Amino acid sequence: MNGAGKKHTLRFDPRTELLLLVLANIVAFTQHSVWVEITWVIFLLLLIVACGCQKSAGKLAIAFGICLALQYYVFPNGPEILASSFTIIVSYARKIFPCLIVGTMVLQKTPVRELMVALRKWHIPQGLIIPLSVTVRYFPALKEETGYIRDAMKLRNIHGVQKIECLLVPTMISATTTAEELSAAAVTRGIENPAPKTSMIEMKFGVQDFLCLAVGVVFCIISITVG
Amino acid sequence: MSEVSTDKKLKGKDLITIGIFSAIYFVINFAFMLLGGIHPVLWMLMPGFIAVFAGIPFMLMVAKVQKLGAVFLMGLITALIYFATGQFTLVILISMASTCILAEVVRAVTKYNSFKGNSIAYVIFSMGMVGSPLPIWLFKADFLAQITEQGMPADYVAAVEALSSNAMLIVLFVAPIIGGIIGAFIARGLFKKHFVKAGIV
Amino acid sequence: MIQIQDVSFEYEKEQGTLSHIDLNIYQGECVVLTGESGCGKTTVTKLINGLIPHFVEGGTLSGRAIVNGMEVPKTEMYRLAEQVGSVFQNPKSQFFNIDSDSEITFGLENAGVEPKKIKERYEATVSALKIQSLLGRNIFSMSGGEKQSLAFASVYAMNPSVFVLDEPTANLDADAIDTLRQQIIQIKKEGRTVVIAEHRLYFLMDLIDRAIFIQKGKIVQIFSGNEFRSLSDEQRIRMGLRGLVHPVMELPPADLPGAQEGLSVENLSCAFDKQPVFSGLGFSAKRGEVLGIVGHNGAGKTTMTRCLCGLLKEVNGTVRLDGQTLKAKQRNKASFCVMQDVNHQLFSDSVWNECELAQPDCPPERIEEILRSFYLLDFKDRHPMALSGGQKQRLAVATAILSNKDVLVFDEPTSGLDYHRMLEVSNMIRKLNDENKVIIIVSHDFEFLGRTCDKIFDMEGCSIERR
Repeated sequence: MNGAGKKHTLRFDPRTELLLLVLANIVAFTQHSVWVEITWVIFLLLLIVACGCQKSAGKLAIAFGICLALQYYVFPNGPEILASSFTIIVSYARKIFPCLIVGTMVLQKTPVRELMVALRKWHIPQGLIIPLSVTVRYFPALKEETGYIRDAMKLRNIHGVQKIECLLVPTMISATTTAEELSAAAVTRGIENPAPKTSMIEMKFGVQDFLCLAVGVVFCIISITVG
Repeated sequence: MSEVSTDKKLKGKDLITIGIFSAIYFVINFAFMLLGGIHPVLWMLMPGFIAVFAGIPFMLMVAKVQKLGAVFLMGLITALIYFATGQFTLVILISMASTCILAEVVRAVTKYNSFKGNSIAYVIFSMGMVGSPLPIWLFKADFLAQITEQGMPADYVAAVEALSSNAMLIVLFVAPIIGGIIGAFIARGLFKKHFVKAGIV
Repeated sequence: MIQIQDVSFEYEKEQGTLSHIDLNIYQGECVVLTGESGCGKTTVTKLINGLIPHFVEGGTLSGRAIVNGMEVPKTEMYRLAEQVGSVFQNPKSQFFNIDSDSEITFGLENAGVEPKKIKERYEATVSALKIQSLLGRNIFSMSGGEKQSLAFASVYAMNPSVFVLDEPTANLDADAIDTLRQQIIQIKKEGRTVVIAEHRLYFLMDLIDRAIFIQKGKIVQIFSGNEFRSLSDEQRIRMGLRGLVHPVMELPPADLPGAQEGLSVENLSCAFDKQPVFSGLGFSAKRGEVLGIVGHNGAGKTTMTRCLCGLLKEVNGTVRLDGQTLKAKQRNKASFCVMQDVNHQLFSDSVWNECELAQPDCPPERIEEILRSFYLLDFKDRHPMALSGGQKQRLAVATAILSNKDVLVFDEPTSGLDYHRMLEVSNMIRKLNDENKVIIIVSHDFEFLGRTCDKIFDMEGCSIERR
């Protein structure tokens, strides 16, 4: 995730994105009308296209279309086995689709750094922010480590169930060592300082944030009252 | 077990250790979540499957961070990542938070140091993931109404109702209990065989 | 000023101790703590940056350690961090963030410095250390040297008066070591105190004000800069230190491709992540000879190693062993790589079982024989992860011998090793020659390559620059 992309794309304050997620959740729980649902999804898809996620928006749009098609045409008319197996999942996917769309935007366009500052601004305790940022930072490292271990397993010709143990044990030991070393590097740079942490990043709500949230709230109201 | 500092508060090293093992826990969790997408029954059994393997990072973490809050953070971080990427609803935050709090109580009462205590805590913790398929039952009425109005035949609706029946709800809750017990023993086996001998606990 | 007064320290687990250390380090000095691995030099650095006693579990400390007027055991680590900056030896596990800009400002953010000042320090750091090329990047895409450079910058940004460096060159190649040297020159110019624990010192020789030689936890001798610079080769070998002059290596070049015996690599091209890494690579490596592979970071040494071991499919070209072409899968069966981090390739719960895992039907006498020749027989019930670094490395080689691999590749086998440990590895590899294998070493340790290899292959000619 880089900080580039300030070209013609829209950028939201990460707090807006998180709030939008909450709104998407509310709408998901309360909406009943298909038309409200479709309008909301279209709005969100357009939003993320404006942020530069064209490819993902396209894929999500197609996926949503498939869900609708499956539910309205295929399942009622097709073989029962197909329907009974998948209808629950398709239904669930359809329901959380708006959340998935916002989630895609968060994943692709928001640097972890900004998310952490956003959480700090909301006075979320460091006790949560620190492990959360370490978790996110460790994912690529974990991928690297398991990559090496799997290479080593290939060279040693390890097969079958043994593979699981041989993958898990070195991973755990490497995680322990990394925890030790990373902590030393963090503690010697003052991570335990109780003073409120600051940042070089300025975070301010802009017009686009207010507009976006306003539309979201409107959708919530519509979905709660009218359905 | 190694010496533990007498300071009860979570320090920098503890928070970082929690973060790293939570990452491993999340990856195991997520891998099984993907499997769950294949079939709804798999999805409902998913908390159980996760519990079998996720015992290892969990047990390592509670061995290294024998303080209040470690488990709560692990659960909360997992739920938050799922929430922020739009995969689950607020329900998971609630189910995770409540099971984690209970698990922490168990740990505190058993002084953080007993295998039995940590295993029970782990089983309770594993139940946190039921918040993922739970919305199916929570919105059952809604959902059944929706598919009836779409014109599905009555016996089909009955079949779907069976899948989201109360019996399946019980399975949903029992699977992680069984999985958790198995997972705790697998973790203990690995501890004895490797981690203690290697000197990392 | 740093004052260490009659400090003795004992770790809880057997790791080694310090006895009655008395040391004063004055502002602006560049002091080197040196000695063999395990002598205690790292432990002394921990007295200065506060890792002892705040971070280490257990252990008994006596005596006083005072840094710039602060009693270390009584001062919180974050207070110490404002005055003492620490750079460690593993570039992979020092960074807290994913992007480089956050990493540079990490310490300042922790200290609650106001945003305007953070920006000022950020820009001052970038210009003083000349790290423009590191800005705005994903740390995971950086080379080891760049990561270490970033770690240094992150510490510099906090503006500490004391820099503590713990074996910072352990994982760096010659170019990266040069960058580090420039950074040290810069901070010395600014009047900061530099304390470095190292046994590889050639790049510091003209910067050293004093050198403290530590052995078994005691200060044995303190040299002035000039005294240290006039050490003879014999003396520095007795002290267990690496060469004090910039290492040079003169070895004959590798044989041309096409050998009918041993390994022949012909016109090999490889890509990684769809980007071409090198092309037209060719050489031969005979059995019973040791071939060294050199090239700067990014030249493709790792990619080539993986390709040779069958972990990566070639884009073009052939690899032959004793005249027969080997596809990736076959290369996998025929070769073994002793990795830079041996912890990734030990899987079992005892040395003996590790050997059995390598060759399931192996008769116990054979395992015994191999373990004895690698000095591991006494440890046969030990868990592999509880062995020392050198023992782990030997165990990995033992598994390769037991699985009857024909091609052995060593990837940076001497990272961070002092003189005597480096010699041990060198001797072990030369002894392997008797097993009639093809032995290839990828390294940037010229001192080691010079005494271990018979021929050298330089990757410069074939690599495709990606940046």
